[in-house]
Amino acid sequence: MIEAVTRFDSFENANIHRGLYDLSSTATKRYEQIRTKVAHFLGTENSNTVAFTKGTTESINIVAQSYLSKKIMPGDNVITTIMEHHANFIPWQVLTQTHHAELRIVPIDPHGNLDMNKLRALIDSKTKLVAINHISNTLGTVNPIEDIIAMAHKKNIPVLIDAAQSISHCALSLDQMEYDFLAFSGHKMFAPFGVGILQVAEKHLGEVLPYNVGGGMIREVTNERTTFRDFPFNLEAGTANISGVIGLGAAIDYIGSLDKTDVSNHIRDLTDYCVATLNTVPEINVVGSPSGRSGIVSFTVTDIHPHDVASFLNQDQIAVRAGTHCTQPLLASLGLGATIRASFSIYNTRDDIDQLKASLIALIKFWS
Amino acid sequence: MTKEELEILYKSKIIPASKEPYHFEKHAQANTVIEAYNPICGDKYQLYLDMSEGVVQSAYFHGFGCAISKASTSILARKVEGKRLEEVVALGDTFIASLTGITPMDFDDECLKILNELKNFDGRVDCIKSSWEAITHHLKEEQWK
Repeated sequence: MIEAVTRFDSFENANIHRGLYDLSSTATKRYEQIRTKVAHFLGTENSNTVAFTKGTTESINIVAQSYLSKKIMPGDNVITTIMEHHANFIPWQVLTQTHHAELRIVPIDPHGNLDMNKLRALIDSKTKLVAINHISNTLGTVNPIEDIIAMAHKKNIPVLIDAAQSISHCALSLDQMEYDFLAFSGHKMFAPFGVGILQVAEKHLGEVLPYNVGGGMIREVTNERTTFRDFPFNLEAGTANISGVIGLGAAIDYIGSLDKTDVSNHIRDLTDYCVATLNTVPEINVVGSPSGRSGIVSFTVTDIHPHDVASFLNQDQIAVRAGTHCTQPLLASLGLGATIRASFSIYNTRDDIDQLKASLIALIKFWS
Repeated sequence: MTKEELEILYKSKIIPASKEPYHFEKHAQANTVIEAYNPICGDKYQLYLDMSEGVVQSAYFHGFGCAISKASTSILARKVEGKRLEEVVALGDTFIASLTGITPMDFDDECLKILNELKNFDGRVDCIKSSWEAITHHLKEEQWK
């Protein structure tokens, strides 16, 4: 990925959809080839379902502002969950408040599983969208999105999936899952920061309208009016993050070279091993015990604040995130101020988790 | 900072100050309550000041936070008691500026000197300054009223 970006920046750098010189036309061709590559990666042939964005946050905000804000009326509702990242929570909170609609928040059970009965009860004829993560970025809970999509679609309600945490190690297919909107970020799948994807099901393509107007996304501009290109080009105003997209393409090539089942099994094994290992230390409290958890384990250490834990782990070359993880409503519902989060990727091993445990035990002893 | 230096710092200064913080209790009768909140890490303290005739008569605090933020807020509470509003603001401004590493501060106070040295502890400056920023910002607004 780094080589692909460096090569582009060093030798192939040119803007897209503009110049007729070789560098520009080559850059345009590669950019659009990567759009097709993303579509294939997501299990669809139609590259026009794929828009490049800055990341998951922008993708979700586009759905809120460019799609749902045109449809939602006072008295309608949007359903999300208590375990969402702020990026999949605040856009719906702001949208529903602006339109005098209702934000319905699905709770979790004591283990950290989504309360499916509550979700079923909350969906009604006024529901305009169900927005949910595939994997919780704080609990690691794997949500049953196929069931949720089926439940919502029975009532013709579209579903947005925040796949930021799952995109690098779970198979997703638009054909099989039939989600309506899919959002994810490049940096969660070994691509550069600042590039992401919004994928939209074909039936909604004409309903996602421009939100940011300017060059590159128009058909015709006169003094009186402007007509816009169709999705996804109607969203991509201005100069694109071309290097980022080049990197995303290389990252998808890399992920595509891996066996998805092996990757998924490896991440699950590390996650289970981490939970079992941390649970052997009485002072460590793993947050939640969902029936499906992948890639993420949050925990606290009795009497030691997560930030202090993270600082000491850092000295042992162990990088964890500590804090609220952009999930303040979730932590508030759990009565927690902050947690430490261990997250795993394909390059991690069980030895890493053994080192984590050893460092934590040393810290607990030091602190007492 | 090496791990050994980190351990010495925590053992000798931060943990004692955070385990026995100064005036760490809710003080409902205080006439000025200020919230210090760091949304990234979730640290949240209420600072309870009793102000009269422009002087901080007493300072208490309570809430949730890491050892560094608790130690820092503990030192803040001890330092501001007995100071005039404008003296607290000046101290806060000078201390916060010193944490940037650009504006040096000539400390004759051992506790402030230690806090200031913590600025070299990567990633934890916000833990040190959250309460200082909250009180300085609030009292400046009081001055402007």
